[in-house]
Amino acid sequence: MDQTLVQGALASAQSIVNKALSYDAATAQKLSALAPKVLAIEITQPAFVIYVQFGEQLRFMAHHEGETQAKLQGDLQAFINLASHKDKHAALMKSDIQIQGSSQLAMGLADAMSDLDIDFEAMISELTGPVVAHVVGKNLRRLGGWLKGTSEKLKQDSVEYVRDELQLAPHKLEGETRFNQIHKLKLDTDRLEARINRLATQLNKPKSL
Amino acid sequence: MSEKKTTHFGYQTVDAEEKQGKVAEVFHSVAAKYDVMNDLMSFGVHRLWKRFTMEFTGARKGDHVLDIAGGTGDLTMKFSDLVGPEGKVVLADINDSMLKVGRDRLLDKGYSGNIECVQANAECLPFNDNSFDVVTMAFGLRNVTDKDQALREFNRVLKPGGRLLVLEFSKTNNPLLKKAYDLYSFTALPFMGKLITNDADSYRYLAESIRMHPGQDELKTMFEQAGFANCEYHNLTGGIVALHKGIKP
Repeated sequence: MDQTLVQGALASAQSIVNKALSYDAATAQKLSALAPKVLAIEITQPAFVIYVQFGEQLRFMAHHEGETQAKLQGDLQAFINLASHKDKHAALMKSDIQIQGSSQLAMGLADAMSDLDIDFEAMISELTGPVVAHVVGKNLRRLGGWLKGTSEKLKQDSVEYVRDELQLAPHKLEGETRFNQIHKLKLDTDRLEARINRLATQLNKPKSL
Repeated sequence: MSEKKTTHFGYQTVDAEEKQGKVAEVFHSVAAKYDVMNDLMSFGVHRLWKRFTMEFTGARKGDHVLDIAGGTGDLTMKFSDLVGPEGKVVLADINDSMLKVGRDRLLDKGYSGNIECVQANAECLPFNDNSFDVVTMAFGLRNVTDKDQALREFNRVLKPGGRLLVLEFSKTNNPLLKKAYDLYSFTALPFMGKLITNDADSYRYLAESIRMHPGQDELKTMFEQAGFANCEYHNLTGGIVALHKGIKP
């Protein structure tokens, strides 16, 4: 890909991220504490590398002349999954992403991003003034709460419908009991197999004179 | 009787001594509207080319940087942030009109302290040997009369291990892009120049000087002949622009 396009994409992303971070002073401060370290993010599928240099503002680069303090390596899906988790520290530990170099830097970034809390109301107030921003913010929060509640309710109702009405899936407790029974049966068969093997060994043993 | 040394000024052949004055006239004429024209002509893409250049500088806190033909200070501002108060950036340009615009722009944007503005000719730099970690020249080399001498001077003022980065218009191998680019630069550019700066000739010179400038491989050879090692170039926007890099051994 032509580097002009890559630079365009990186410049846009850098501008958006730094603008967003300017509305979350705590996260911006945590990230600037990592200066002047450089983290390489290597995405294996599709293959590309982004270098992130920490400072008062984050700097995104396609090329870096110098040492990187840490490297995160994984496919795009793994990074998307990581981004969608609230607790990024725990998610990073459990994910398929490999960490090379200073894990402290990678964890520092994960911690900072876990606490990300962008003040969207402040962002809107710059364009509309505080009164309108407050009304918009209040309604957006209400809408967000409604969407969250509705999606949780929808999820719960769907589970109940599939389980109780259609009876296509067992209840969680039923499932656990069945799995316990299967597990017990497996242990019993293992024990029985061991006893049969022992008996077979005794029968096959040559009789002593 | 000895023959006078000649060089190119766009498509014209002029006395080598004459070129500097003619180039100066061009930049005196366009200095005030230089940034506006750059954005218009390149649709803002020159910022991405310069951004790419910055990635290869390897500049860090405390470094001394020379931004020769720095014009209105685009790279100088980026370097100023990178080298910090312990470092130093010299914004140098042969043209005092450009330098004044650059200096005012830097001050207006709050850049001072680690920046010096120096009027200097790239062919005879007023700096000690081995005094800079990085030397950059963005869209300036094609205007220099003796390019080889300028490259030797960059080599002289760089510290061993220091790097030279030259961002300059170059040659595209894509026939379609070449056709579109020729059409654009020989018709639209002078028209825009006439409209914005009331000076079509300066922008006609720009288009012509780009065509007369050495291609990627030729410039790379010139880098090597000037004493640089690990020379390489990277094409941008299909080769319309190329970034050349060399390290002083």
